[in-house]
Amino acid sequence: MHDLVVIDPVTRIEGHAKITIALDDAGEVADARFHVTEFRGFEEFCRGRPVWEMPSLTARTCGICPVSHLLASAKTGDAIMGVQIPPTAVKLRRIANLGQIIQSHALSFFHLSAPDLLLGMDSDPAARNVFGLMASEPELARRGIRLRSFGQSVIEAIAGRKVHSPGIVPGGIASPMTPETRDRLRENLAEARETAGDALVLFTGMLDRFDREVRAFGSFPSLHMGLANDAGTWEHYDGHLRIVDADGAVVVEGVVADDYRTILGEAGRHDSYLKSPYFKPRVTPGDDPAAGTYRVGPLARLNVCTTMGVPAGDAALAEFRERAGGVANSSFFYHYARLIEILSATEHMQRLLDDPEITDQKVRATAGINRRQAVGASEAPRGTLFHEYTVDGNGILTDVNMIIATGQNNLAMNATVLQIAREWIEGPSIPEGILNRVEAGIRAFDPCLSCSTHAIGQMPLVIDLVGPDGETLCRVRRD
Amino acid sequence: MAVQSPLTRKPTLAVFKFASCDGCQLSLLDAEDELLAVAEVVDIANFLEASREVRPGPYDVTLVEGSITTPHDAARIRRVREESKFLVTIGACATAGGIQALRNWKDVNEFTAFVYANSEYIETLDRSTPVSFHVPVDFELRGCPISKTQLLEVVTAFLQGRRPNIPTYSVCVECKHRGTTCVMVAHGTPCLGPVTQAGCGAICPAYNRGCYGCFGPMEEPNTAALSAWWKSLGVDDRGLVDAYRGFNAWAAAFREASDRHEAAITVRGASA
Ligand code: SF4
Ligand code: SF4
Repeated sequence: MHDLVVIDPVTRIEGHAKITIALDDAGEVADARFHVTEFRGFEEFCRGRPVWEMPSLTARTCGICPVSHLLASAKTGDAIMGVQIPPTAVKLRRIANLGQIIQSHALSFFHLSAPDLLLGMDSDPAARNVFGLMASEPELARRGIRLRSFGQSVIEAIAGRKVHSPGIVPGGIASPMTPETRDRLRENLAEARETAGDALVLFTGMLDRFDREVRAFGSFPSLHMGLANDAGTWEHYDGHLRIVDADGAVVVEGVVADDYRTILGEAGRHDSYLKSPYFKPRVTPGDDPAAGTYRVGPLARLNVCTTMGVPAGDAALAEFRERAGGVANSSFFYHYARLIEILSATEHMQRLLDDPEITDQKVRATAGINRRQAVGASEAPRGTLFHEYTVDGNGILTDVNMIIATGQNNLAMNATVLQIAREWIEGPSIPEGILNRVEAGIRAFDPCLSCSTHAIGQMPLVIDLVGPDGETLCRVRRD
Repeated sequence: MAVQSPLTRKPTLAVFKFASCDGCQLSLLDAEDELLAVAEVVDIANFLEASREVRPGPYDVTLVEGSITTPHDAARIRRVREESKFLVTIGACATAGGIQALRNWKDVNEFTAFVYANSEYIETLDRSTPVSFHVPVDFELRGCPISKTQLLEVVTAFLQGRRPNIPTYSVCVECKHRGTTCVMVAHGTPCLGPVTQAGCGAICPAYNRGCYGCFGPMEEPNTAALSAWWKSLGVDDRGLVDAYRGFNAWAAAFREASDRHEAAITVRGASA
């Protein structure tokens, strides 16, 4: 019989993260699980709706990375129409996604993680936030805020609004880009790039201080999955699925989104609304899916690609690999990977904005329903996102499946919480700093809990320590 | 529930989240420059998006994002109300139940069983309801997401002790201000603009598409006249049900219009 430690905002509240830690008879940490109790029911209420409105509908899953859902959904719509969208539309969608990667990663790093990293995990919680950062590192905080704001402005410029933009539609983009908009974005790009570069220098400079975190914040071998193009170049919009193992050997290459079920299985857990996808070929049916644990997101994307496809990004990737000793298997390196992606995103964006075709007027293809079933995938800031729709002859959805990044990292987050608990929890009491560390460990993945919730502020957590007979021994709680 | 305090104390602002996507709160975070100005005059007591610190109430102005979908949240919103002098709901989720209110037309047990294998674990209300369904609300700010300009107006107004100046006319007025040609008249594109409250700045028609009603019904919308117009453009009852059942599906005017069209459906036709 195990003792249970439950870290919970209060059991079974929608939209909250909850953590259960089981102790064995000797009082040692035996198991840990991360659950999400959010339930808004998108997959169900999308059934019966027309495929045309799916981008707008599914964007409301998450206000933090709505562009990901817009793109995955619009791509599924393109495939159902059986159209190849105009080249300029592809480029505009790419720029919008790069803008989103920049804003979302900037939020994760500057607003959420930098206070932990720069002010220290044990520093006063009242000041360990973006306002505290403004007080102690005003220049850095200001630049971080401006970087995120730049990413948001890119999305707004292309798709009409920062959050839940109406401009990304099946068939392409609703409205072309004007030369004035292009010039404005080009002008602001230089500052964004400089901020990204400086943040990277700052981060690598303090990496040595985080030796214990690098070792204990989810450092374990696992598979890594991401999109990559034919040459193995870092991808975020097109390309195919690529999986490497903990040593960098390529395990899966060239699988198109439509065939994702050949490599991915989905395990439902009775105690979480978050499904746990796993790598099918490594799991015997009926067995624990943990054997098929893979990671997605910035860390995984950097592990699967052979090149970032841009010079500064490649220089940073080389240093990243050197510091990680090859494949980065410590989840603490997610922070590092995020900064490299911001930098690379600015370089890729520069290329796209310099393309003379970018202001072309042809940005939307139209067609009726030509296929009944399709899968669309894109790289969300947090990892690969899949939308799969089945429609009737009128384009009304009869079935829908969404595989979100946070779900795919679920097994890896469990392993991370387990490792942190083992490192910092001893015996039947709960040490003070554990909430922060568990939270920081999960935050390394930047889980999207709206796709879940409270991902970007304080996670309201409760740790319950429960004895073998089910009685609560003690409770640490923070709402 | 008077907030007693020394005169020197800055008014406090709190933000609470229920079932939502965080998009509306992010509009507050997006108001970077303005936020710093606001932060000079108010004390941000609880804004999880920006700070870990949570200070106990009472609060002078409380912003609530998200709809009520669990028994726990129904109790929590009552506590938030007790702690708040002015309670403002922000966004379609909080003011109308949000997109998740589409579940209100379905059987919740069937619903949870569809998505998750072990639905007995799920403790959820069978409806997603607006905050005003549970407690008195001082002001409802519309939008999915809200407009940051309107949000700043609302916060400033309450801090100054006046009513917010938020127009209740339709999106059409904003198209005219912006100089956008009417997409229904010019291109025959179905648009909910004539029955939808202004506030977004008429984004969709400027992007060559019809409004899909994310700011919810305007004051006294003429849905019957709009439905007739849509029908003349070839949209059937099924299409009209879908159109009214968006992010503000549970708002009375849209709910009633959608129910009317649902009742009229005899055969399921193509949707526009
Ligand atoms: S109203 Fe829309 S933008 Fe606001 S929280 Fe709800 S779904 Fe998100
Ligand atoms: S035009 Fe309508 S749907 Fe589009 S943003 Fe404005 S209110 Fe929302």
